[in-house]
Amino acid sequence: MLIPLKQIKITLITAPEFNVEFLGWLTLVFLILAVVYFVGTFFIRNSIGTYNGRSKDKKMEFSPIISEFLFYEDSNSKEEKKNYLNLKVQIRDSIKDNFDRIILTEVLLDLRKDLSGQSQTVLIELYKDLELHATAYEKLSSRRWQVVSSGILELTAMEVLDSYALILKFINHRQSTIRKQAEKAVVTLKEEGINYFLDNTKYKISEWQQLKLLDVLRHKQNFDPPQFSLWLTSTNTHVVLFSLRLIKYYKQSDAVQSIITLLKHKNGAIQLEAIDCIKEFYFEEAIPTLKMVYPRANNDAKIAILDTLGEIGSITEVEFLKLLEKKEKNFNVKSKVISTLNKINPESILPTKNIKEDNYFTSDLVEETELNVESTIIDIEYEADSSVLVSHNTIDINESLKIEKPIPFEITKCGGVLNDDDFSHNLLIDTSLIVPVSIEKTEEKTFPNILNTDPNNSINNLDSSAKTEDELFIEFSPLVLSEIDAAIAIPNDIHNDIEPMFSLDNNFVSEIHTTDNNSFDAVKNDFIELDWFSISKMEPADVAEELNTDPDPLITFENDSISFSANFMEEAELETMVFLENIADMGDSRELPTLHQLLAANTSPLVLERINELIHKFSYQSPRPNDMFSSDNDLSSSVFTEIFNLSDTETKLILLDEIKSVGDEKEIQLLESLIENENNEIATTASKVLNHILAQTAKLEFTKVGRTNDSIFELDFELEIETSRSHLVGFPVCRLPHK
Amino acid sequence: MGKRVLLADDDQLLASLLNFRLKKSGYDVHHSSNGKEVKEYLKTERPDIIVSDIMMPYFSGIELIDFVRNELKLNTPIIIISSAGNEQNVLSAFELGANDFITKPVSPTELLVRVGREINK
Repeated sequence: MLIPLKQIKITLITAPEFNVEFLGWLTLVFLILAVVYFVGTFFIRNSIGTYNGRSKDKKMEFSPIISEFLFYEDSNSKEEKKNYLNLKVQIRDSIKDNFDRIILTEVLLDLRKDLSGQSQTVLIELYKDLELHATAYEKLSSRRWQVVSSGILELTAMEVLDSYALILKFINHRQSTIRKQAEKAVVTLKEEGINYFLDNTKYKISEWQQLKLLDVLRHKQNFDPPQFSLWLTSTNTHVVLFSLRLIKYYKQSDAVQSIITLLKHKNGAIQLEAIDCIKEFYFEEAIPTLKMVYPRANNDAKIAILDTLGEIGSITEVEFLKLLEKKEKNFNVKSKVISTLNKINPESILPTKNIKEDNYFTSDLVEETELNVESTIIDIEYEADSSVLVSHNTIDINESLKIEKPIPFEITKCGGVLNDDDFSHNLLIDTSLIVPVSIEKTEEKTFPNILNTDPNNSINNLDSSAKTEDELFIEFSPLVLSEIDAAIAIPNDIHNDIEPMFSLDNNFVSEIHTTDNNSFDAVKNDFIELDWFSISKMEPADVAEELNTDPDPLITFENDSISFSANFMEEAELETMVFLENIADMGDSRELPTLHQLLAANTSPLVLERINELIHKFSYQSPRPNDMFSSDNDLSSSVFTEIFNLSDTETKLILLDEIKSVGDEKEIQLLESLIENENNEIATTASKVLNHILAQTAKLEFTKVGRTNDSIFELDFELEIETSRSHLVGFPVCRLPHK
Repeated sequence: MGKRVLLADDDQLLASLLNFRLKKSGYDVHHSSNGKEVKEYLKTERPDIIVSDIMMPYFSGIELIDFVRNELKLNTPIIIISSAGNEQNVLSAFELGANDFITKPVSPTELLVRVGREINK
């Protein structure tokens, strides 16, 4: 059912009913208000402008008069003196008018800020002479705080000393602006003002106010500061704090006990200021109290205490600081503890964070050393009875040199201490923790007893470099241990714990502990200067001659020394092993055929094991990046090589299909290598793909006209294994270059 | 006729006072209260010395030095009046070729001595 439009009422948005008769009146009211507003604004603006204009004119009128007063001299001429007197009369008349008086006061106050020296003094005298301060006195009794404040400011600026008594009462005024102005006035006007202020002020003295008051005192001429320690007992903590600052500023160091007592103050700011004073005045007697309050202090106070201890403390504080170093958890405080420790006892704590190990920097040297050591092993092994002596009493920490691979060597038996039972099994010496040491060279068959109490045998007596050089040689006999039953670890920090599995004579330990740095350095230098190269180049015969060896037992006990000697490899076998190691270091998958040949030619289980390891390694190894992109490398020229080596069997088969589809002669080398693959499926597929590629290549070759294949630039040469190894059984002397 | 001093300062009271002091000492002082006036004056006149406040409307003391030294190519001695703690401006003024400076509050006697010294150099 439809509702007629006339019946629809929307009550919410109906306009209020308004009597149109009032509209005219309302307009009139607003018009009047607007006129009042504009007239009022105009009037006020005009009056301000007029006042400013009048005051400016008046100021300019007063300006020459004031100048005349300021620069009046007794030596002036009579006319000038007469003029001066006339001006004085004139200005006295003019200041009877309130406006003129106010303007003159303003002028004088402005000039007071801009002038200094004699002119300023004269200006102040003129102000007093004209009795302008009377108006300022009246301002003090005003009920408006800004008027009172300006009165105090005026009296202070014009140094009206008589106003001092009137201003005193405002020291504890509840209005902070008046109070602060009064504080400044009291301190400025009279010397004893500061005393009165500190005695009587009950309110807080803000930091800014303290600075302003200090500035006032600082600029006071002939100011004799009172003994500020008198206010250290004030009940107003702000007074105590300000007094401490004044004590510090005026260097009043006579309040030792009061300041020390304030270290225990509840207020942190006072505590900090007291600490600062102690540091400033070097109060050593405060150290026990500083230590006492430290644990309960906040971090800022702790840092301040540590700073003070660093300044006034002595070596006796080191113990306390070391305790704190362990105990403190806050980063800033802990850092301060460490810096304080180092300040008192320089370099007692060295940097520890983000410091690289020594061997990081000496790694090159270590590698070189290892290479030489390996060479030494090779040469030595010609002699079954070669042995190396490491005399424990000459062991030295050489921080720059570490041999990280196990190095077999012979250990002299500690005189009587070691028993045969101690070495029922082979020992693996953990040389990663053994630092290469001075090793005694001897022409005798027996080695010196390492626990020889003879002082000449001590490391302390290695001060003669010539002597040391004669005595030193290093030999490392290869000792491959199949069983690890015991480990002797000599940690780097030999001073701390040299605890080998077998017991050593106390004399030895004590010798090491008492060894001074010079001796260590001497041995270290000797070791560095040792001609490793010549050692590595020693002929086996020479080695045999030099070394007194016993070929028979692996472990022998002679002259109280335990000897480990190993002689378990044939020369050819050893050379093969060395060759294999070279392949392991420098070779890649191209060595696989060579390795297979070696596998067939050798019988030694050790060699075979190593060969198998390398075959396994290179079978899953992609060619070296440089070789991959080398134009000399046919194998690498196949884009499939790398991905092929990294793929599983299924992927390899897919790749072979792809090679068949898109491959060319570059894939031939890869395919040839795959024909010998252990996986028959891969080998068969590779063979098929190879045939396919060869057929395609032949077609292409046929189409090429005039192309020569014997250009030397198209020959691919491959680096060949050194020919000196050609005597090895089953070894290829050289490999024909690939086309 | 005394030496001509151009006094440039927008503080009328202080300028008036200094003007009075300099005139009393025999100098012929021209006072300009802003940079524009100074520029106009220098186009036609060549004072023996310029005493200028650093902070002026339209044309600062620094700009005045630059104008005198680089545009007018004058070697007229320039003494700068600067507020205390305005070292950076003073350094800039010296870099541009100011001869001397004096800090506020000014001692008129001191200014007189400095002006005399610069003129007699």
